[in-house]
Amino acid sequence: MKLTFNAEDERFRDEIAQWLETNLQGEFAKLKFRGGPGDEHMFSEERKRWEQRLAEGGWTCIGWPEAWGGRNASIEQQVIFAEEYARAGAPGRVGHIGEGLTGPTILAFGTDEQKARYLPGILNGTEFWCQGYSEPSAGSDLANVRTRAVQNAETGKWEITGQKIWTSLAHESEWCFVLARTESGSVAHRGLGFFLVAMDQPGVDIRPIEQMTGTSEFNEVFFDDAIAADLIGEPGQGWHIAMTLLGFERGVSTLGQQMQFQNELNELIRLARSNGAARNPNIRQRLAEAHTGLRLMRYNAMRMLSDTEDAGSESSALVYKLHWSSWHRNLGALAMDVLGPEAEMLESAPYNLTRMQSLFLFTRADTIYGGTNQIQRNIIAERGLGMPKEAKGR
Amino acid sequence: MDFTFTEDQLAFKEAISRFLKTEVPPEVLRDICDTEEGSTSELRQKMAEQGLAALSVPENQGGLGMDDTAWSLLTQELGYYAIPDSMADTAYVASGLLTALPEGTQQREQLLEMIAEGSIRIAVVHGVNPLVVDLHLADKALVEHEGEVHLVSREQFDCERNTSIDSSRRVSRLNFSASSASKIAGADDGSGVWAETLNRGALAVAGKSLGLAQRMLDLSVDYAIQRKQFGKPIGSFQAVKHKLADVVGGIETAKPTLYRAAYALANGDARADLYVSHAKLACCQAAMVAARHGIQVHGAMGYTWEADLQMFMKRAWALQASWGTAEFHRQRVADDILADGVAIGPQYTFEG
Ligand SMILES: Cc1cc2nc3c(=O)[nH]c(=O)nc-3n(C[C@H](O)[C@H](O)[C@H](O)COP(=O)(O)OP(=O)(O)OC[C@H]3O[C@@H](n4cnc5c(N)ncnc54)[C@H](O)[C@@H]3O)c2cc1C
Repeated sequence: MKLTFNAEDERFRDEIAQWLETNLQGEFAKLKFRGGPGDEHMFSEERKRWEQRLAEGGWTCIGWPEAWGGRNASIEQQVIFAEEYARAGAPGRVGHIGEGLTGPTILAFGTDEQKARYLPGILNGTEFWCQGYSEPSAGSDLANVRTRAVQNAETGKWEITGQKIWTSLAHESEWCFVLARTESGSVAHRGLGFFLVAMDQPGVDIRPIEQMTGTSEFNEVFFDDAIAADLIGEPGQGWHIAMTLLGFERGVSTLGQQMQFQNELNELIRLARSNGAARNPNIRQRLAEAHTGLRLMRYNAMRMLSDTEDAGSESSALVYKLHWSSWHRNLGALAMDVLGPEAEMLESAPYNLTRMQSLFLFTRADTIYGGTNQIQRNIIAERGLGMPKEAKGR
Repeated sequence: MDFTFTEDQLAFKEAISRFLKTEVPPEVLRDICDTEEGSTSELRQKMAEQGLAALSVPENQGGLGMDDTAWSLLTQELGYYAIPDSMADTAYVASGLLTALPEGTQQREQLLEMIAEGSIRIAVVHGVNPLVVDLHLADKALVEHEGEVHLVSREQFDCERNTSIDSSRRVSRLNFSASSASKIAGADDGSGVWAETLNRGALAVAGKSLGLAQRMLDLSVDYAIQRKQFGKPIGSFQAVKHKLADVVGGIETAKPTLYRAAYALANGDARADLYVSHAKLACCQAAMVAARHGIQVHGAMGYTWEADLQMFMKRAWALQASWGTAEFHRQRVADDILADGVAIGPQYTFEG
């Protein structure tokens, strides 16, 4: 175990802190603490420009290999980056799907040609990505995707037809990675492919879905003979690639997320002290519990990221999503209880939520996306504990 | 103790339930959300015609003279259909307050008659409940001020409007200056009346929350039966079944606390605060659990504006802190059971 930073790490910390202070100014000043969970719809243009500014400073994709424009930053440095980014209140990353999911997937499975084509757009903050996994009948049962990919005999191009749903930020994205069936008649996780599809083409239709927050962060996406620019890996390898990608979701990006959680908790503590709720013994205890839950999450993440021989680290990865999602959901409920009767008051008409309301409503979804709590528990029991699989109907 | 309701009470509840089911389907709720004023006067009028307005007004003033136990059934119906109207505030809470004031109190009989006719909206304003539903539509407000009861007309108070996370609710704060002219009862009469009124307000919220919990449960059960994943209805997975079993557990165990509290209020029980707080805690908790598990069972669909579930969840969330937060009510329970000289011992265990 190693929880310390060396002198070089500390220099790195000064450098990023300094850079953020200098650059979160002018047109970007208003982005402070914005664009986080529940606030993704805000300032999307400005936040895209912010991505480009980050890129100019060399602060996107810092964990990527230097050969592809990254800094090959160590885990410690990535932790530091996440900490300083959150401390500065720098805005929610529009580029997180590309940087955290698409990039690592292409690095792992793509050809050099594909890397050269897709990585620079992510690195430079000029091309944004969305995730085309879920379908109306493929939610928890992701392997039930029905979207078809057919290779055109003349052009050799793959053509995609089908419907995706709940696609976050599709309307803000240049690209979507799409899980589609390459082998007609195949079932479950066999016969799938992992495709990269440009959103701006006639065969793609994006329709926003209104969320209970009154905003639309996710969409339905209809593909009608849309042309895929690329297939990653081989036909039939899609499931393996898709699952590997989900593993990246649990990587270093979670540390950045934790810093955001810490900001939220700090804000809540400030509120509780100012409105007197912190005098209530029950609220005090719940705040203390929130604090210990978050620290626990941090140690757990550090342990997962440590280069360790500890056999427990795999289980610690399996329990991670369940833990943070439940913690965050409870934090949202605590926020409402700290506010008391005023919790229901909106910021303004017609339906502009306060930050705490956004937090509360958004955290209702944390236990659903990225694998529901029930599915997480099934995975922990089946994969982690080797228990028999639950009977399936197909 | 006997938990059976009279045939009259049950028949009345059935009639109201049928009426609300046809009059206020979810589409109508959505329409109400989009209006400026919120609840409509047509709906209010129709509810009055069904006898809701007159329910607990004394027979002398043209009412039906039913008590809190009847309201413990009806508030559940109002909750089940998420009726945004503040009918219970006038017909139950305000009517109870006026009835409890000494006969001959200024305007008492006249206001009760108007409540029974369904021709007046009276808001009740108390420190524990600073955000008042439909205050902007109220003809009059009964206001707590240092234990006194003040009666103010719409033109005498200022209404600071707010929008709620539940778009069908219209909540406001009241600004007014108390004067001897607005006072209709002093603190000597007022204090006891306000204690009872606070309990009615809280009990109405408890009943509505329980009704909402039942509605969220019904929606979730339907969804779990229809929605298929892995080639099976999701309701066939134990993880889903057990969540919904916990919801029904919460509802069924909360129900008798509601009835116990209503009985205590109706019979002037000295420990009414204890029973009411218990009911408020248990019923709101049942609603919180129903919302939490309800959205979980609905998956991403439950997070949309389109799914009706969100309207019921938001109402339940808004009611959670109305007429006293959980902390407030837990404190009241603690105050009762930890009081000096409280009766403890086997002979008291099952008393009350
Ligand atoms: C805010 C938000 C953003 C999202 N963004 C994206 C995105 O960008 N891209 C994308 O592809 N998807 C996205 N999703 C979709 C998300 O991945 C799915 O919602 C999730 O996988 C669950 O699927 P479902 O909603 O269809 O629920 P269902 O699978 O229908 O589940 C309903 C309920 O049944 C339970 N259940 C299902 N199967 C089992 C089982 N075998 N055992 C026990 N319980 C079970 C579930 O736990 C849940 O409680 C997003 C969702 C949300 C809420």
